[in-house]
Amino acid sequence: MGSWDVEQVLGLASDPASAKAGQGLARPEKWSSTGATDRALWGLCQGSGKQPYQTAVELAGPAYKCSCPSRKFPCKHALGLMVLWARDGVPAGEEPEWVSGWIDQRAARTERKPGEVVDPVAAQERAARRADRVSAGLAELAGWLDDQVRQGLGAFDQRAYGELNRLAARMVDAQAPGVAGAVRRAANVVGRGHGWPGELLEELSLIHLIVSAHAHLPDLPPSLADTVQTRIGWPTETARVLANGEKLHDDWLMLGRVVEPDDRLTVRRVWLRGATTGRIGLILTFAAAGRPLDPLPARPGEYVPGDLSFYPGALPMRALLTQTDPRTPAPRPTGRTVRQALASYVEALAADPWNERWPLVLQDVRPARHGEGWALVDEAGDGLEIQAGWDPLKLLAVSAGDPITVAAEWNRAGLRPMTCWHLDRPVTL
Amino acid sequence: MKGWDGLVSSMLLGTDRRPADFDELPEPVRERLGDGGLLDAAALATLYKRAGRKPLRDLKPLEAAGGEDRPLPRSGAVRRLAAMLGGFQTAALGEWLRTADANGWGVPPEQLPALADFARNRPEYRPLVIAAAGRRARWLAELNPEWRFLYAADVESNDPELWTHGNAVQRRTWLRALRWRDPAAAREALAEVWPSESALTRTEFLGLFAEELSAADEEFLEAALDDRSREVRRVAARLLARLPGSQYGVRMAARLHAHLTATQGVLAVELPRTLTQSMERDGIDSQNPEGIGKRAWWFHQIVANTPLSEMDLTWLQLPVEGCAPELLQSAWTEATIREGAAQWARELLVANADTGSRNPAELLRLLPREEWAQAVEALRSTVDVTELVGGLTVPWPPALGAMILDQLAKVGTNRAWARLASIAARAVPPDVLDHPITREPTGDEDTWRRRLVETLAFRREMYEELT
Repeated sequence: MGSWDVEQVLGLASDPASAKAGQGLARPEKWSSTGATDRALWGLCQGSGKQPYQTAVELAGPAYKCSCPSRKFPCKHALGLMVLWARDGVPAGEEPEWVSGWIDQRAARTERKPGEVVDPVAAQERAARRADRVSAGLAELAGWLDDQVRQGLGAFDQRAYGELNRLAARMVDAQAPGVAGAVRRAANVVGRGHGWPGELLEELSLIHLIVSAHAHLPDLPPSLADTVQTRIGWPTETARVLANGEKLHDDWLMLGRVVEPDDRLTVRRVWLRGATTGRIGLILTFAAAGRPLDPLPARPGEYVPGDLSFYPGALPMRALLTQTDPRTPAPRPTGRTVRQALASYVEALAADPWNERWPLVLQDVRPARHGEGWALVDEAGDGLEIQAGWDPLKLLAVSAGDPITVAAEWNRAGLRPMTCWHLDRPVTL
Repeated sequence: MKGWDGLVSSMLLGTDRRPADFDELPEPVRERLGDGGLLDAAALATLYKRAGRKPLRDLKPLEAAGGEDRPLPRSGAVRRLAAMLGGFQTAALGEWLRTADANGWGVPPEQLPALADFARNRPEYRPLVIAAAGRRARWLAELNPEWRFLYAADVESNDPELWTHGNAVQRRTWLRALRWRDPAAAREALAEVWPSESALTRTEFLGLFAEELSAADEEFLEAALDDRSREVRRVAARLLARLPGSQYGVRMAARLHAHLTATQGVLAVELPRTLTQSMERDGIDSQNPEGIGKRAWWFHQIVANTPLSEMDLTWLQLPVEGCAPELLQSAWTEATIREGAAQWARELLVANADTGSRNPAELLRLLPREEWAQAVEALRSTVDVTELVGGLTVPWPPALGAMILDQLAKVGTNRAWARLASIAARAVPPDVLDHPITREPTGDEDTWRRRLVETLAFRREMYEELT
């Protein structure tokens, strides 16, 4: 089989953190005894423990085997090995017994359904091990938070950044990368602007909310429990989402896309809205910095007929798309007033209090100056600000002061317009 | 939100020192709090705040740009425009805009900011972008000071307020438009404000008189010869030199005849000895450029600014005494271009005369377009053809375009032809874009041929999309 691209490999990652970690491991000096045949790759990667991890990838699936404790599939070691291979860094070789045995075993079980775990007992054990580590990590975090609250954060700005980042690293070790991200976000608030203590309290209180929700996990409704697990960073295998996730067929209107480049990883969010169901879908895509992302399923403003398989959660939004028919043009979508749009965000927040972003389609809004920046104002005179730093000139030129329909991503910093409609023609912003 | 600041200060000082006070928090938060602590209260309050976010009020939307939009061309044309603004075949941008405008198509408004940025440092594109902006021109001009040139679109409103209270761009455009409609009224408008304007503004405004110049302007221009600004005087002299039958022309002719006589088949020149005050008043520059003597320079300017009617085409053939023949020829070229005299241009080209600082193409441009191909053919042996056609306005007449492409089709892939090919790729008119050269195979190494064919094909598709 032909070699893969690095992006293709990273596309297999269950989240950006694994993609990042995988790239970090894609260096020859991290590996020993590597080799590749037409059907498999393998190698030994020295981790923090004494024994190196044994990593193998069957290319046809692809399927992964690794002796590391990670419950992510593929784990960072498998990703790293594949990236190294994609860069021609893995020499051809003879399959050792532990690789060929595994592959033969897999081949013997051809009946296996997609999403089924290779070795359910082992997987359960791994999951249990991980659950323990997460619980221990979160308990430590809870204690730390309590201490801070009792002793006060008065002199906090001096030591906060370092301390929070150390704490974030602990959460990564505890296999709670979602919490680690939240703690890092809190670290970044410290000392920025006059209102930072208030913002820090907001961030810390939401971290506290995850910690206490986790402590009550068995008592929560299953969908909310899933949401909490997701926020903690418990990965969901894509195969499982495709096999067991809620499935919905519709003509999915592509409301728009937001691409956020980073030094190491580019993240793209594609927002969809069902033409008949009105459901919102979010497709996340990642690529190594400077590398192209997968092609978009459609141009903003077009329909993609197909199935969305939703990740579990109280606010099922992230999804995988299986396109069933070619994309088609779509009419200008109906939108909402500013008040209706804010109300829809409140509903989203009620389902998932940690939700940061929500797509809005605003109807008949006009641009207005708002301080140094801009806002969009609806017919009733209600307005929402546009994020500072976002270049509004295209949007302004299309509107020319006339009311227009705008699809935007909303978060606390304001609107980030994605698409607007010039009469009935979608314009990507 | 009430109570929030209390939570923040408890967090800063620590609840050991300052126990959190929940009494000030909103009712719904307190109700749900139960026996929760500071962080529970903060989480509830945070969500309460986020969910309770109110829309902004009392914002004033921008005023709508009045008027109608033109329809947009097919989506292929729209995409092509975006590609050109993205850096692909950008040199064809002006052609796209001109063709779309001529066919009654509008421009997708989302491209206007990029177009305005593009035209910012390329004045030749500004009229195209102003036309493309349509009803949005003034609106955009107010969004970004770097797009002030878009104010020029205001002229359509014909509002005298623009003349009295507008900015520099609006005033200049207003005056230019009035000059087109009613030259005398424009002259009066300018005369009224003349004493109070700055030298720079006077120079700029006076320059607009080049349009619709007539004998009626003479008095005003004569007066401007005495202006306190040297630049104004220079512009006035240049305009007067273009005015047939003016006193200025009479004065120049007298000077010419004092220094140049045609006798017995010889042109006898006697260079001026001094630069008189009257010569200086008529805009003759005392300072000679490098490579030419002072007296020769004065004489050159006299010839260049004397009406051609005072001279004779047969002089081109005569031997010259008293100065270098090139001096006279270059001055005649200047006069010919100034007057746009086709017959003189034709003779000068045939005479293979020295055109001084002017490109022979400037003379060629004075001939009727249908003569261009023939003239280029005739000049081929003596003039650099690339230089010649490179100075012609585009698009070329079809005969010239076909002739140059025919030639390029025959010459192989020698790199010496690369420049001519790149000029021709942009300059041949729509009728010639389907030339047989586009159907000949090109190898990867035939760089200029491949580029030529690509550009011709690109332009052909562009025209097809816009019609």
